[in-house]
Amino acid sequence: MSGAISREDLRTMVAGWIEAGKRVIGPVGIKPGLIEFAPLASAEAVRLDGWEQPSNSIKEAVFPRHEALYGYRIEQNRVELTGAPETVPEQIVVGAHPCQAASLPILDKVFNWDFQDEFYNRRRAATTVISLACSSHDDACFCTSVGLGPAAEKGSDAMLYELGDERYAIRVFTDKGRALFGDGAGTPPQVAGAPEARFDAAQVGAFAHDHFDAPFWREHTLACLGCGACAYTCPVCHCFDIADERRGNTGVRARNWDACQFPQFTLHASGHNPRPAQGDRQRQRIYHKFFLYPEKFGEILCTGCGNCARNCPVGLGVLPVVSEICDAQPV
Amino acid sequence: MSGNNGFEPRILAYVCNWCTYLGADLAGTARLEYPPNVRIVRLPCTGRIDTNLVVKAFELGADAVLVSGCHPGDCHYTAGNYHARRRWMLFRSLLETIGFDMRRLHFTWISAAEGKKFQQVITEITEQTRELGPYHPYQATPRVEAIDAPAPAPAPADHWTAAEQKLRATAARLLSDGTVKVVIGYGARGPVFITRPEDAAQLVWNVTCLANLATYLKRKEVRALGRPAIVVKGCDERALVQLEKESQLGRAGIYVIGMACGGAGQPKCAACDTRQPRFADETIGTAEATVTPEGDRYAVVERILQMAPEERLSFWTAEFDRCVKCYACRQVCPLCYCERCLVDKNRPQAISTAPDRMGSFAWHIARAMHLAGRCVGCDECTRACPEGIDLRLLNLTLARVAEKELGYRAGMDPMAEPPVGAFAIQDQEDFIR
Repeated sequence: MSGAISREDLRTMVAGWIEAGKRVIGPVGIKPGLIEFAPLASAEAVRLDGWEQPSNSIKEAVFPRHEALYGYRIEQNRVELTGAPETVPEQIVVGAHPCQAASLPILDKVFNWDFQDEFYNRRRAATTVISLACSSHDDACFCTSVGLGPAAEKGSDAMLYELGDERYAIRVFTDKGRALFGDGAGTPPQVAGAPEARFDAAQVGAFAHDHFDAPFWREHTLACLGCGACAYTCPVCHCFDIADERRGNTGVRARNWDACQFPQFTLHASGHNPRPAQGDRQRQRIYHKFFLYPEKFGEILCTGCGNCARNCPVGLGVLPVVSEICDAQPV
Repeated sequence: MSGNNGFEPRILAYVCNWCTYLGADLAGTARLEYPPNVRIVRLPCTGRIDTNLVVKAFELGADAVLVSGCHPGDCHYTAGNYHARRRWMLFRSLLETIGFDMRRLHFTWISAAEGKKFQQVITEITEQTRELGPYHPYQATPRVEAIDAPAPAPAPADHWTAAEQKLRATAARLLSDGTVKVVIGYGARGPVFITRPEDAAQLVWNVTCLANLATYLKRKEVRALGRPAIVVKGCDERALVQLEKESQLGRAGIYVIGMACGGAGQPKCAACDTRQPRFADETIGTAEATVTPEGDRYAVVERILQMAPEERLSFWTAEFDRCVKCYACRQVCPLCYCERCLVDKNRPQAISTAPDRMGSFAWHIARAMHLAGRCVGCDECTRACPEGIDLRLLNLTLARVAEKELGYRAGMDPMAEPPVGAFAIQDQEDFIR
């Protein structure tokens, strides 16, 4: 295939993938003002422009909000385990910005660190990511502050670059991408529209570490109401809870998303809570992203997509909190 | 066994200990035969039967549910059944809006002497349910629909800017003369907590000032700052009225800065009749008084009810299937102030934490029910939802019943008796057999 493709041809390809039984996930207009990544019912559903960032993330393709690990049935005095892990369909994520694509290599590390998470790995192996380089950004974007950018290749198997006139240049980075587009050696246009760097990530990590007990955290995050909107729309937040969901004599052991902003997240059985105040939980979010994860895995646990700030009902999120650290340099 | 390919329905009956259970007992001792499809769960009183138990029964495979207790006037605890009757009315309206199959939920009064009635009721419910076939809760093809009318345009910029300077001056004054320790207001990015007069300039007043700041009065970190002044619009102020009614705040302990509002461009603004704050210690600006006919307030609910039940269920499955259970709806709600939410109680797990369809329906039904007759319509839940779930429609459904049947609008009249926790002898009961 040549290095460029029209939007119509891309739609034809998408239709072909859906036809072939692949699960194709892309930005979809759910209702006025709401764009989300969702499995495409048809190739016409995919929306490749008119948005900066869908309100959710692509992590659900590899790490669903609710995933049954196994099932069980209780009969008389016996417990029978059921439901060998289902096979996952091949899936293609199309039209995710580079900040979304970059989340997958970051998640790979935590799901394969001391334990190979077969559920994650199975979906990950079956997933191809065709990202869409950014041509614009909004106030919440800050990819350049965490080492990425509007055409960062991390995590993408192939990338589309808008050429105007509803045409895209294609570049292919991996065998998965090659399987879809051949060599696709397009010449990408100069990508404009990178957000300027807003902070120094190393400085943020150092601050979080050095000012663990500083009043800064509680003072500057008073507005936080303790919901999980930031974590659940974040492409790299990956905490989960394991729950036995029993309905009658059958049930599943499932993992559900969880978030560090909930008071119950760290509540001990004794009643003690090591992070008793919301400020402590906000600190954890920044500390984990900019100190703990980099220290352990050598990567910042943030891709600068800005979803946390866009979805926060009270104007917080990584960038607003981190900006205060860097601008004010509180002690 | 007859009918429906040998299908035998499972019917769960929640009955009170004093009347219906004894009625069932009488049916037994009098050798009145009734189908063995019913499982009876005995509870002290219908007033003690949480609607969540009904939801749970259907989740666990009941094909029909019966809730039954003493006739009005017969309650062993004087009034438990009257309280129950009111909650059932609200609960039924919620289920109707959701598109639940109402033919599977039954309410009766059966006394200890009515063994015969118990026999008849169980026989009829069993036969009817056998005809209906097995029940699979919330099965529908999700279909997104734009039901809500587009929001009206917000007030023009000059309406806001005129009040902004006055607001800053007021805040600075209250902080310098020691009236309050903190002003809870809006900053450029979101809610701010101003503790020094010189920081009052951080306060803004514009079309982004949407959050209902009353929710911060429940947060202990904010309470620790000392006596607050709080910036409210007329709609937000209703939360203060309701919170005071529920003994959650002492009105004297807070200073209310009311902001006259020309409309914030939200769906709720279309039928707003509280643009001018009514109980503020100090009100900035004036807003044209608006009178909204009751019909306008609930027009969107009427539109839902005109849809067929299956269409309603399709709509709600599309909405709830997007729920990720981030609980933003709960956290922003000024009226959700429990120290530990029912869904966070896990011994036993009253409501599934799973963000799957069953778990999401259970959560949203419970959330709406807990706000029945309490929700002040600030729509913060809807604004906060990252998945754009139209939660206001559930709240409006219950507010509509509270107003139409019980003559109550939450947060309007400080002296009015709240509808849940009270009852009237003449409450509607045409749905109870």
